[in-house]
Amino acid sequence: MQTRRSISMALAAFVMAVLPAAAHHGWSGNAQEEFELTGTVEQAVSLAGPHATMKIRAQGQVWDLTLAPPARTQAAGLNEKAIPVGAQVKIHGHRNSDPKRFEVKTERVTWNGKTFNVYPDRD
Amino acid sequence: MIHFLAWLENSMLGHAMRHSGVWTYGVVNLGHILGVATLFGAVLVLDLRLLGLWRTVPLSSIAGPTVPVATTGFVVAALTGVGLLATKATEYAGNPFLLIKFPAIAVALLNVAVVTSRPAWKQMARPDPTPGERRVLAIGGAVSLAAWLTAIGAGRMIGYW
Repeated sequence: MQTRRSISMALAAFVMAVLPAAAHHGWSGNAQEEFELTGTVEQAVSLAGPHATMKIRAQGQVWDLTLAPPARTQAAGLNEKAIPVGAQVKIHGHRNSDPKRFEVKTERVTWNGKTFNVYPDRD
Repeated sequence: MIHFLAWLENSMLGHAMRHSGVWTYGVVNLGHILGVATLFGAVLVLDLRLLGLWRTVPLSSIAGPTVPVATTGFVVAALTGVGLLATKATEYAGNPFLLIKFPAIAVALLNVAVVTSRPAWKQMARPDPTPGERRVLAIGGAVSLAAWLTAIGAGRMIGYW
């Protein structure tokens, strides 16, 4: 009896640990609205980590841009040397739903007439 | 904390993680998951036995295979985990799940030290442990399950903060 109770408690703890995953996956941490921003590159594209990243300065803030995973970002032509620091770029994506965080999950980066579409299957 | 994370990010390991191809992080992450799966799979079987399941199977027959498998899984998970953290270590400063995960791992390892030093564990080959010995082992199994589940749960959540 005691054994059975211990096991069901362990299972309950596991379910509680796993449940929040469903709520956090993918794009749900970002606003639904399409978001555009024009700024200058503060830190060039990095193809490291779970997602490629870059930083731009716009509206007096440094914005963290979260791009697609590294291989997909590179496949879109956006590598470390694609856009120089200081270049003016326009980006399109979805802003973090927390207005205090200057982070954009970025779908497209346009520079010098060229558009790097890292999520071609999204609007 | 932030100094350590900055040091780790600027280490050779951090540099290698960031500059050795677009698949590096994914492959190391795969190693981490396999390590965690190996560790937890073995730990789960052992802990359920400590909690009282499969009493007809001698503890030594279960501890024999599960302990080395779990140890191997832990080493793989720890080594790959340092690589994942080093990639962008400073970005994890202030991540609350990191502050849950590492103390949980510390508790789990401390529990290993405590359980394996108990007479009940050392005499596991004996066929008839006393109720007291059984209780000690069951508590060890429960603490182990809770600690590893907390570590894995919090670890999974790090990326969603």
